[in-house]
Amino acid sequence: MSIHVRLYRSKVPRGVCSALAVSRHVPRRPLSSVNAYISHAPSRQDDAPHRVDGLGVAVKDNIAAAGLQTTCASNILAGHEAPFTATIVTQMQRLGYSVTGKTNMDEFGMGTHSTSSAYGPVSNAEPIPDRSAGGSSGGSAAAVVTRSAHVALGTDTGGSVRMPAAYTGTYGFKPSYGMISRWGVVPYANSLDTVGIIAPSVPIIEHVIHSIREEHDPQDPTSLPASARARIAKERTSFVPSQRDMPLRGFTFGLPLEYNIEELDPRVREGWSQAVDKIQDMGGRIVPVLLPSTKNALSAYYVIAPAEAASNLSKYDGIRYGERAEDASSDAMDGVLYAKTRGTGFGAEVKRRILLGSYTLSSKAIDNYFIQAQKVRQLVRMDFDRVFKLSNPLRDESSFDLSEMDETIVLENKLGPSQVDFLVCPTAPTPPPKLEDVARQTPLDSYMNDVFTVPASLAGLPAISMPMDIPTDANSAEERHLDFGGLQLIGQYWDDLRLLGVAKELAAKVSAKAGSNQV
Amino acid sequence: MPRIPVVTLSRYLLRGELPHRECLRLSRPLRPTRRPVPGAPSLGLRPLHSESASSASVPASIQTPAHVPLRKQMKDEAKKAKALGKKKKKNASNQVIEGWELTVGIEIHAQLNTARKLFSAAATSFNDDPNTHVAYFDLATPGSMPIFQRETLIPALRAALALNCEVQPRSSFDRKHYFHWDQPSGYQITQYYEPFARDGRIWLQSRDGIAAEDGDGIPVRIKQVQMEQDTAKTMAQAESTHWIDFNRTGLPLIEIITHPDIHHPATAAALVRKVQILLNAVDACVSGMETGGLRADVNVSVRRTDDPNAPLGTRTEIKNLSSFKAVEDAIIAERDRQIAVLDAGGVVESETRGWSIGSTETRRLRGKEGEVDYRYMPDPDLAPLVIQNDLVNHLQESMGQLPDAEVDELVRDFGLTPKDALSLVALDDGRRIEYFWNVIDALSARLGPDCTTRLSCFQLAANWILHELGRLAANPHDDASRDLIFTSDGQCDRVSVDALADILHLLHQRKITAKVAKELLWVVYRGIVPSQYDSIVDAVETENMWFRELSEEEYNELADSAVDGQDGILQQFVNYKQYPQGKLMFLVGRMVRLGPEERIDPKNAEIVMRQALEERYIPALRQDA
Repeated sequence: MSIHVRLYRSKVPRGVCSALAVSRHVPRRPLSSVNAYISHAPSRQDDAPHRVDGLGVAVKDNIAAAGLQTTCASNILAGHEAPFTATIVTQMQRLGYSVTGKTNMDEFGMGTHSTSSAYGPVSNAEPIPDRSAGGSSGGSAAAVVTRSAHVALGTDTGGSVRMPAAYTGTYGFKPSYGMISRWGVVPYANSLDTVGIIAPSVPIIEHVIHSIREEHDPQDPTSLPASARARIAKERTSFVPSQRDMPLRGFTFGLPLEYNIEELDPRVREGWSQAVDKIQDMGGRIVPVLLPSTKNALSAYYVIAPAEAASNLSKYDGIRYGERAEDASSDAMDGVLYAKTRGTGFGAEVKRRILLGSYTLSSKAIDNYFIQAQKVRQLVRMDFDRVFKLSNPLRDESSFDLSEMDETIVLENKLGPSQVDFLVCPTAPTPPPKLEDVARQTPLDSYMNDVFTVPASLAGLPAISMPMDIPTDANSAEERHLDFGGLQLIGQYWDDLRLLGVAKELAAKVSAKAGSNQV
Repeated sequence: MPRIPVVTLSRYLLRGELPHRECLRLSRPLRPTRRPVPGAPSLGLRPLHSESASSASVPASIQTPAHVPLRKQMKDEAKKAKALGKKKKKNASNQVIEGWELTVGIEIHAQLNTARKLFSAAATSFNDDPNTHVAYFDLATPGSMPIFQRETLIPALRAALALNCEVQPRSSFDRKHYFHWDQPSGYQITQYYEPFARDGRIWLQSRDGIAAEDGDGIPVRIKQVQMEQDTAKTMAQAESTHWIDFNRTGLPLIEIITHPDIHHPATAAALVRKVQILLNAVDACVSGMETGGLRADVNVSVRRTDDPNAPLGTRTEIKNLSSFKAVEDAIIAERDRQIAVLDAGGVVESETRGWSIGSTETRRLRGKEGEVDYRYMPDPDLAPLVIQNDLVNHLQESMGQLPDAEVDELVRDFGLTPKDALSLVALDDGRRIEYFWNVIDALSARLGPDCTTRLSCFQLAANWILHELGRLAANPHDDASRDLIFTSDGQCDRVSVDALADILHLLHQRKITAKVAKELLWVVYRGIVPSQYDSIVDAVETENMWFRELSEEEYNELADSAVDGQDGILQQFVNYKQYPQGKLMFLVGRMVRLGPEERIDPKNAEIVMRQALEERYIPALRQDA
């Protein structure tokens, strides 16, 4: 019996501890250089005695923790202390974690590389400090990879937890929308925002999700009600490996063909292919699937998210909290109220998205943009619902009329196309890019990065990014340390536990490093 | 506007005295004789007698030689005006302008009567200390979220039902974006795409005060009713400082939007008044226009009447009208402005305009180019509102009688004039009529089932509750605790239902005179019953105020003394075109003054006097002639 399986069989908390015990032997990498934190918790050592073995959770700076600043890495919220604590932080504290500090991020979560922060960019850890740590929860991933925290909270709106995980070789999990309360989470795009968890291994994530997945929060109107949780839980099972040597036997994995895009780095494509082979080795069945709406998903995302952001960010006027442009007699400019405060308080990317969102919501453009994007969003969800074996518990059971189906979809038999348990695809099209290259990218280039993560966000589905090995050219010094990519598993709504179970099985097989970490 | 009493008018004209009420009230009471004399001999009741005696002397003081011509002059003018066919008020010409048709649509905002705000558990309040009822969400604190307070739906649904709307099984909330300091989140949550109620109707009748041109009545269609948040209250300070009170932020409002079915200014005002009465009647709304609980925006356009197929003219919107009069006046002013513009060959621009009370014209606030694009977006945090039929049906069944039906009943079964019935229903936000029904119940119990004069007793009650109680409240006093306050279940601390029923019952049975009854009312109002007398009957008994009417013989003797020396007056009864009723009443007045007032029923005195004149004096004069 491998350590790996023994870990699974032990009680979850012990699994967490043993995984952490291993991680503590890994030498710390320098923290300050990565710029992971915006603020630190004061003297964490003196914290409450009930804390288990000094477990620390790093909290993204858009999640409120009383007594600490919540700036969202924006000048407009400089020095802002939230008067309350986010529900998820309270839940983590109850699990024995104490907050290590507030982590750096893209301003208000808008970005893919954590470079749009008012507190300077986050950089990846040794041995690739010149590379992007991903975003927008880059600080949280950096805190985990530098071992300054055992686990980190991030938020994932269009991939903001999964991207940093893929770029830092950590595990980043975005649960089903509505599972984790957003009370205390500063909204970027409410209908997409999901609290996510970044950790050095899957069992830590599993433990957290296992502990809080039933908890409805009456303070969050989008938190799934307890009755619905109970109803859906009945339709869901946890992961049970079928056989010791073939743990994935009986599971079908879909390979979304639309994700094999031109821009996909050949090494990442190769890593994806190797991972698929591993799945088959473990008994899993692989089938190609078509998700025809994927090609429109990114555009829809970049209409919906900025629209909601423009709305959400209109509250920052410097009156009740945050920074006000005080150098003039008024914070107005040319007679326009708040123009000065907002003009100086927001960074360039935030302003760009506010403008985008204000435009797509304007009376002349809303029909062509916002309404269309909402329709695409429904198509994306229907694509997913069609390929998954499990039905979407939030929707009425609807049969798909074969005649209405995109003609490119291959039917498995006369009943329709094959259905799957999980989708398997890359998280990011490339290994972490150089920060200097990122700086030269146009906004559109960096938006492209989210192409694999956005569909699951639009549909509110659980998804995890895990490190996978990719081939390296032994002769290239540059490639030597870039030997990992991000492998993404996507599951049907509220299939989080099974998804995590499979990810845990798969982790050591698709990443040699993960395998060695657990020994 | 209330009619100015002649006394007040003459004081102002002749002596330059202002009525001393409200802000003009002087610290020194102007009418010391009206105050009860402390320590007066027979304690409670005597001061009242002396007071009424002194108030009776007021007319005497104005019977100065200069006064008579004034009264006469006013009378003459009124006669002249009547002869010319001019109406006193509501000049018909300001409702219609020949050759033009006015079209008006109205949006009314009313604050729902709820304990909590629309999306937070903070309490609703009216005049509490600023910023004491504010939840994190009300301040748009980052990370806070809206939680729809289901209780707010109850009054909203009642309002929709009172307006005969179709309640929608599914509605949703949208964000309306604009920057203003009274809007902490930068948007207002409202129901733009899917309001919770649609397609209602109000039937306006002539008694509702609509323009004469609208005849007996017109229907006004309600397009929709939506729920939305109120904004913070701005308190302007010196110079450019504004204080903001967030207590008002997020209070639940409904916005009622009518179709453009109104064509006369008075009818527009009548609609707003009617909506207020309806909302009060179903307990949906916290307060009326006067206290800021109701605000109206009106959309006004005009077109020439020569082409009935012409589209409606370009409309302008006048925002934030806070009184019925403002609604009517602003529409008249805006209509006249638009017509003047069009007559001069100009075009009416689509714009938002403002109106200040007392003004004669609307003023431009912003044009179309300055219009805010509100960028309506479904609120991604708030689930759609699903309202099931059982709730709607339950509210419909438990709603009780609507004011129109109540007014009909008062007119039909109680013989009230429509005007009195409407006032009774509208007063004190609908609480006065509840008091009325309680008094009617109390009187019914006292009269017993076989009483044949119930109706006249009930009419007496209506008259007193409308007018005599009103007089109590109108009496100037400094003590706010003496205000007549009616509770929503129709009780009144200062004049209890039972006390009033006792007084009215005695009066109805003619056991006391009207004058004594009125004094008793004051006694109750001042708290002397029950502090010094156990009951009304005890007070009457102790002070010996039972009505012991004069015998017929005594009446006749009194008539003789009254007529004595009034030969000039008597002459006018010999030959007349119209019976000189005024002169008769003058003689009756003399009877009352000369005789023991508390033993005289003026009605009977009148009968005796008329009889005496016809049977004895006039024949005697005719014979003399």
